Amino acid sequence: MAHPSQLGFQDAASPVMEELLHFHDHALMIVILISTLVLYIIVAMVSTKLTNKYILDSQEIEIVWTVLPAVILILIALPSLRILYLMDEINDPHLTIKAMGHQWYWSYEYTDYENLGFDSYMIPTQDLLPGQFRLLETDHRMVVPVESPIRILVSAEDVLHSWAVPSMGIKMDAVPGRLNQTAFVTSRPGLFYGQCSEICGANHSFMPIVIEAVPLEHFEKWSTVMLQDA
Amino acid sequence: MLTSRALVRGFKIGFWRPLSSTSSLQAVHGKDMSADVLDCTAPQYNNRLDTPLPDVPFVRKLNSEQKQLKDKEKGPWTKLTKDEKIALYRLTHELSFPEMRKGSDEWKSVLGGVFIFLGLSGVLVWWQRVYVFGEVPHTLSEEWVEKQTQRMLDMRVNPIGGFSYYWDYEKKQWK
Repeated sequence: MAHPSQLGFQDAASPVMEELLHFHDHALMIVILISTLVLYIIVAMVSTKLTNKYILDSQEIEIVWTVLPAVILILIALPSLRILYLMDEINDPHLTIKAMGHQWYWSYEYTDYENLGFDSYMIPTQDLLPGQFRLLETDHRMVVPVESPIRILVSAEDVLHSWAVPSMGIKMDAVPGRLNQTAFVTSRPGLFYGQCSEICGANHSFMPIVIEAVPLEHFEKWSTVMLQDA
Repeated sequence: MLTSRALVRGFKIGFWRPLSSTSSLQAVHGKDMSADVLDCTAPQYNNRLDTPLPDVPFVRKLNSEQKQLKDKEKGPWTKLTKDEKIALYRLTHELSFPEMRKGSDEWKSVLGGVFIFLGLSGVLVWWQRVYVFGEVPHTLSEEWVEKQTQRMLDMRVNPIGGFSYYWDYEKKQWK
């Protein structure tokens, strides 16, 4: 989750997010360099004492400022496309979970082996235990085994929602009548928070997502307990 | 209603008529305003650093004294006094180069205005906080934030470069 007054991205909890962070640094550096150059040129032009403005053409600089932007764009596009295809790689998931968006909660279905399904409602502010995070905690978390490829099928039962977990670099729209697939691997155990990312009505801001990444044994115990409770 | 009519009439006479260039208004006033109206198809005078020789001289209608000076200019220039040379310069140019470069103190008024409006915005924000906004949620109390922070450290939130990275888990203090 984000820490107070955080400005940048959350630390990566999956390899894809690490790639996205590095790409963002690369693109932002290019943007900063270009902006600094343009700002310098503007200041130089405004504060010059020179008064001859009647230059009509100059082939050399025209070539430079056509070729150089093209090169810069290629330098941005190649890493971007690389990550795009990386995210779509066949990854042989160990587990498939369906995340269904409702107004206004998520429901998760683990149907690979047994029929495990449960709803995940936000814990209202007045019911929080001391130290829990306001508007982020849910009564049931989506538990996954750590360091295992997981496939998530996202859909919705009523209106558009979006299943997003920023620390893993995941955002997938939940469209009614459509199955959207995304996948992730958690690099480290812990709790990873996200919030619904597509306006879906009055409580759009109050249907968070919590992923709990635990070692496999804990996951097996948890799923057994959840099946018994159901 | 009578007040508003008087106001509109006052506005028309005091403000609009002096600025209007409608020829019917000109005829009423008996003024020939055509001389003051800018004809953009004809060459104009300008004060610019990059056009040191404007298209037309600054003073075009010369009185008799100025005409005499202009006739004297047709002769040898060594016979002109310094004051006459300056007067001739002022006939053809409105501002000299140093005068053009001088700039003004307008920036002080602009900056002052900006600070005034920033201050007003600050006052508005403070007033809203005190008199309009309700209570903040109880999760922002010191006690809760302490427990929350401890929980964030326990669950290793942002351990690489963000939050938990700055906590020394051995010494139990911030680095």
